[in-house]
Amino acid sequence: MTEEAREAVGDYKAGWHDPENSTIRFDAGLSEKVVRDISELKNEPEWMTEMRVKAFKHFDDRPMPTWGNMSMLNEIDFEKICYYLRSSKATENDWDDVPEDIRNTFDRLGIPDAEQKWLSGVTAQYESEAVYHSIREDLQEQGVIFLDMDSGLREHEDLVKKWFGSVVPYSDNKFSALNTAVWSGGSFIYVPKGVHVELPVQAYFRINAKNMGQFERTLIIADEGSSIHYVEGCTAPTYSTDSLHSAVVELIALPGAHIRYSTVQNWSANVYNLVTKRGIAHENSKIEWVDGNIGSKLTMKYPSVILKGEGAHAEVISVAYSGAGQHQDAGAKIHHLASNTTSKILSKSISKDGGRGSYRGLVTVSPKAQNCKLNVVCDALILDEDSRSDTYPTMEVANPTARCEHEASVSKVSDNQLFYLMSRGHSEEEALALIVNGFFEPFTRELPMEYAVELNKLMALEMEGSIG
Amino acid sequence: MNPGQTYLSLEEPSNADHLWRYSPWKKVHPTGNIKEVPENFSQPEVSLSMLDGSKAPDNISILKESITTKENSYSDPVSMNFIDAVSSKNKFTLKVDKNTILKQPVLLKINLGESNSSMNLTMNIGRHCQFELVTQIVGSAPWFGLIRNGEIGEGSVINDVLVGQMNAGTLMRVDAINIGRDAQVKAGSISSGSERTKADLRYMMNENGGNLRVLGSILSANEMHIDHHVEIHHEAANTFSRLDWHSACGGNSRTIGTGMLRVADGATGADAGQLFHNLLLSEKAEADSIPELEVSEHDVVGCGHGTANGPVDEEQLFYLEARGFNPEDAKDALIAAFLNSTLSDMGSDLLHQWLANNLQDELKSLTT
Repeated sequence: MTEEAREAVGDYKAGWHDPENSTIRFDAGLSEKVVRDISELKNEPEWMTEMRVKAFKHFDDRPMPTWGNMSMLNEIDFEKICYYLRSSKATENDWDDVPEDIRNTFDRLGIPDAEQKWLSGVTAQYESEAVYHSIREDLQEQGVIFLDMDSGLREHEDLVKKWFGSVVPYSDNKFSALNTAVWSGGSFIYVPKGVHVELPVQAYFRINAKNMGQFERTLIIADEGSSIHYVEGCTAPTYSTDSLHSAVVELIALPGAHIRYSTVQNWSANVYNLVTKRGIAHENSKIEWVDGNIGSKLTMKYPSVILKGEGAHAEVISVAYSGAGQHQDAGAKIHHLASNTTSKILSKSISKDGGRGSYRGLVTVSPKAQNCKLNVVCDALILDEDSRSDTYPTMEVANPTARCEHEASVSKVSDNQLFYLMSRGHSEEEALALIVNGFFEPFTRELPMEYAVELNKLMALEMEGSIG
Repeated sequence: MNPGQTYLSLEEPSNADHLWRYSPWKKVHPTGNIKEVPENFSQPEVSLSMLDGSKAPDNISILKESITTKENSYSDPVSMNFIDAVSSKNKFTLKVDKNTILKQPVLLKINLGESNSSMNLTMNIGRHCQFELVTQIVGSAPWFGLIRNGEIGEGSVINDVLVGQMNAGTLMRVDAINIGRDAQVKAGSISSGSERTKADLRYMMNENGGNLRVLGSILSANEMHIDHHVEIHHEAANTFSRLDWHSACGGNSRTIGTGMLRVADGATGADAGQLFHNLLLSEKAEADSIPELEVSEHDVVGCGHGTANGPVDEEQLFYLEARGFNPEDAKDALIAAFLNSTLSDMGSDLLHQWLANNLQDELKSLTT
């Protein structure tokens, strides 16, 4: 199993880097001029430039968070980060037109192959800009818009102006302000009424350069009765210096729509991953976040859903693996604003080799939201004496008809389970890998099969050397 | 520096700290001016007797001085130093000689009168004691600050119940209790009177084999704001703790239960769990729970927590109504049963009966 895993994924398989062939690279550091220059370079409408500048001022004024892993957060030197780097001249819709070195990167990550086999559309972002973009013709004919965010702003300004920042305003937190100020790339999706996008669409985000900041912005609008599954993957090379990934994702599920947003985050261990993800669910709609955090140095990510319409439903299924030097501070937030809304949060984390896994969650039920039901389950495994697991759930309930449940447990791998598997011929290491995969199974079964297989192999590799 | 100077040197606590998130310090400070340390707080009237009114034996006494055996460093510095400062003339010690075994519960009654008051009570409980202690707070003071600081001696078996029955006003309570080796402690809190309660209860299990159960029965009605924070620190091996907290919220009241179970590296064999149950009885009541875990030791028996919020169960109501209860009586019975499930665990039948009798009026105010 582990040899197979090594062949398949190698040692942090995405840890190589290509020579940097940037066509435009801004000097490190952030100022209003940098923000205006990014906007000018993209030839954006004035309202967007003004929003960026306001966001920059908010970012500048707002202190760093005073909670979470403050010692790690305070290590970020915003003046050493490059806020814009373009490596190709345009976004292509044919892989042959993508610059060869970048195409090779995505070939090695298996993106073109996956696109042919099981995806409705793909966007590939390299540094600050999307380098490749395509969508199946039949979906295009049905009116589905799937563009990189910059093209979305150019081609569908009215839609973007209406929804951009409506779910995550720039003033939400310091990092949403940073993203709004310097955003570049990401995806813009609009699914018309009643259209069901059967196969997932995928975005792949790659940071290649050192000290790079990637600030993609994603906006997905599913109109009434439509559905879409969006999958994102992320990798970066391993450097001794740190990079910053600070994305904002906004989802809008209009009445009866269904959005599933799946992430397998596998940044290298020098990336700060500070992301704001939030959706608004209108009447009888459904938003699901399926969130896997395997890589990065520090992740702070709490996918959220605002249940605004009656009968809406939210689900957050997340797993986190924290290895040496890693802190996965992940969780979920659900706000029940309307009656008869339901939600479910399932969080699983594993800490190993001194890693720290934290679940941080918030669930609120507003006074006017009648008959809401919510369920939160967090389970954590600690695999050795150097590791740590925390759980910080908050539940605020202001309506007496709500039924709310929360449960959490922290434990070690059971000796009985290990013994059972070893008595059936598995080595101790294989047994542990099987138990860990079983522990993560509620997450992997929600992923497209190819992702699930990959994740299982990755986890088997991470478990190597856990015994003895 | 004395406690007043230490307090004034501290910064105002941040709302990001969940201890202060729902009840900011300036809201529970006696004057609202957090730079003020009042000096003229009155001394409460303190009496010690057996629960049946008879005199307490000689091996258990209340002394008008502070006899501290262990310093604690795990309390919140703001509230601890503030109450300590305003209690400089109101220091007491509950001294219990080693090997004290009592069949009848002991009643420590604290009568506050009608003006602001405070008290710093050191709990000095010797080895191998077995008894039950009820601390009852009554009176109409606008503000009362109470520190209960000390230790439960090795091998002692103690049921320690605090009943807050102030007529109104604010109760600011800080507990910092060390649990001795192999000691078995039940720490019960009943909150039913004050308009505003801010309690910060911390238990340190830094000796092997300690066994702790923390139980809460909270009745909040009218405009009450009742905020309890419970921290249990597992520092030593083979320690056991359970927190079971039941809050029934009616009227426009709000209850907050925040818990922190911290299992330190090296606390092998720790077994820790916490549960918050909230029963919401009116449209405008609110209940918030934050049960937190920080586990730095992998070789534990288990660490878990849970919360559940909900209304009175329709099926249970139907069951009782089908057996002749009218709807109001059925609801009252279910609320009483909900609160009684922790109340009945706090001690002996004798203690339970006394608690049940004392809380009848409060229960009525909750359900009407």
